[in-house]
Amino acid sequence: METIIRTEKVDKIYYQGRPEEVRALNQIDLEIPKNRIVLIRGPSGSGKSTLLNLISTIDRPTNGRIFLYGEDISKYSDVQFSRIRQKTFGLIFQNFNLLPRLPAWENVAFPLIPFGLTEKERRQRSTEILIQLKLEKRVDHLPEQMSGGEQQRVAIARALVNNPEIVIADEPTSNIDAESINILLDILRHLEIKGKTIIISSHDPVFLDYCETIFFLKDGRLVNIEQREFK
Amino acid sequence: MNKHLNLLYTAVENILRNKVRSVVLILCLIAVLFPFVTALSISEGIKFQSLISVEEGADIYVTVDYFGSNAPISLNHLERFRKMDGVTKVFPRIVGRTYFANRLVTIVGILPENVPKSIRLSQGSMFREKGDVIVGGGLAEEFRLQPGVRFSLSINASKLLRVAGIFDSSASIWSANLILMPFEDASEFFKMKGRATDILIYTRPGYAPILAKEIQEKISSSDPEPSGPPLRVQDKTLIQRYFQRGFNYKAGVFTALYTVAFALAIPALLIVSGFGQTERRKEIGVIKATGWQTQEVMEMVALENLIISLTSAPLAILMAMAWLKLFNGAFIAQFFIAEVGLMAPFPIPSRFLPLPSFFAFLFAVVLTMVGSLYSTWRTATIPPVEAMR
Repeated sequence: METIIRTEKVDKIYYQGRPEEVRALNQIDLEIPKNRIVLIRGPSGSGKSTLLNLISTIDRPTNGRIFLYGEDISKYSDVQFSRIRQKTFGLIFQNFNLLPRLPAWENVAFPLIPFGLTEKERRQRSTEILIQLKLEKRVDHLPEQMSGGEQQRVAIARALVNNPEIVIADEPTSNIDAESINILLDILRHLEIKGKTIIISSHDPVFLDYCETIFFLKDGRLVNIEQREFK
Repeated sequence: MNKHLNLLYTAVENILRNKVRSVVLILCLIAVLFPFVTALSISEGIKFQSLISVEEGADIYVTVDYFGSNAPISLNHLERFRKMDGVTKVFPRIVGRTYFANRLVTIVGILPENVPKSIRLSQGSMFREKGDVIVGGGLAEEFRLQPGVRFSLSINASKLLRVAGIFDSSASIWSANLILMPFEDASEFFKMKGRATDILIYTRPGYAPILAKEIQEKISSSDPEPSGPPLRVQDKTLIQRYFQRGFNYKAGVFTALYTVAFALAIPALLIVSGFGQTERRKEIGVIKATGWQTQEVMEMVALENLIISLTSAPLAILMAMAWLKLFNGAFIAQFFIAEVGLMAPFPIPSRFLPLPSFFAFLFAVVLTMVGSLYSTWRTATIPPVEAMR
């Protein structure tokens, strides 16, 4: 099985060298297989979100190396990181991180602006995804006019608009209703079928039936890896 | 190309969406730029009016050089100047200053036949009799002077003067605090019998430089008062240069002072442009997380600033025009015109030239860019997760 992401002795230390120093991640070595749904589990404060931030390149490790497709990206420049995020990753945040003044379709289309697509093209592309996510009636709504579940689906649509290879979701079920959870699970399955790699951090057991690889974190350490087979 | 157009449209949309922030920023820029534009237009207006006055004045001004300062000149020179080839008209003038109550006024004494025909009066008529004077509109308004009113000035209280006419208030700013009187009266008033402060010479076209040189070299050496100090000869070109330099200097000093004020305004603008910065910071973090490059974020913010500047500068110019039209340049004109007070009693001259307008735009760009580019760059170059916190 091909490995898409590998971490090698990754540490993340906040306030290093100060009395309030926090070691959020400690010597993490893991391999994430391609075209799988991967779950990172662990109690609150175990370092799940921090690990996702490092893997998705929106944060930098204090020590250690991260490999993407076998290439060490730890020392990449700001420009290279942006390029990776633009082409390879689709990020779904726990608190959605939608731009409050933009309607749903513009939130989804925002990552497309630097591609030079016209407004019509951007709108068309984002609307298509929003329709797939059953948000056709919310295309022109502002985030504040939508429920938590709907906002989460807009965030998912934004993550998918660039057709990324890897989708990363941080606690995707923490702020949404049961119906939205079902839609989310459908999407994840669909993405896996399309050959995408999905990395989820969550302590919600709802994902256990879908994930082939589960990493367990505790106090910033990787304590267990579980491989599962589904027929 | 499409990418840059997209960033431009996004910048415009951002400005429109963040209405409160945009309006506050534009108002702050106008508040900073409008006094600057007003002041420079007043400076240009005065300079223009001065140069017209010089252009319409005599070709050569002769006075006495007394330890480097101008001093009264003997009227004995008049005949000698008249006889010079190329001279068309010669007459003496007395220019002095004194106080009318607490107001510093300029007194000009001139022969009635030499009073310029272009002078316009709002009331009364030109002086006809001894002791008649024409007073400036500013003085007349302040001291309620009317034709026929008699008054005296403390410097020579025994000399009684009568208001014959009042200058039109729309005339040049120099006439506002002016008292124009016959040459003989001014001579008596300042106790300067047989002398003038300067002699004005009008020449045929092209003669002025030659005559000025001749007066300086030959007549000075055969002075009717050989033991006296030398003559000082100034032609029109020289005076124009003095004016130009003087006004440029004054406008330059103002600009320099204003630049300092601008520098002090930058921290204030940083605070203002930081208005909603938390939201902006998070927004930058999100768009960086979705794959935008730092350079694209910077371009979008720079375009926003450019649009804000392009909006603020013309508004500041319009406001300066309105301020001059409606409030006669109140509070600002006093920096350029002495003794004018907060509200000038005469129309303040002004001119709007392209260069100061361009400077206004440039200052607006500098202020907004300094106020936001650095903070944007810092936010865009930290890991997005930190910016989103």
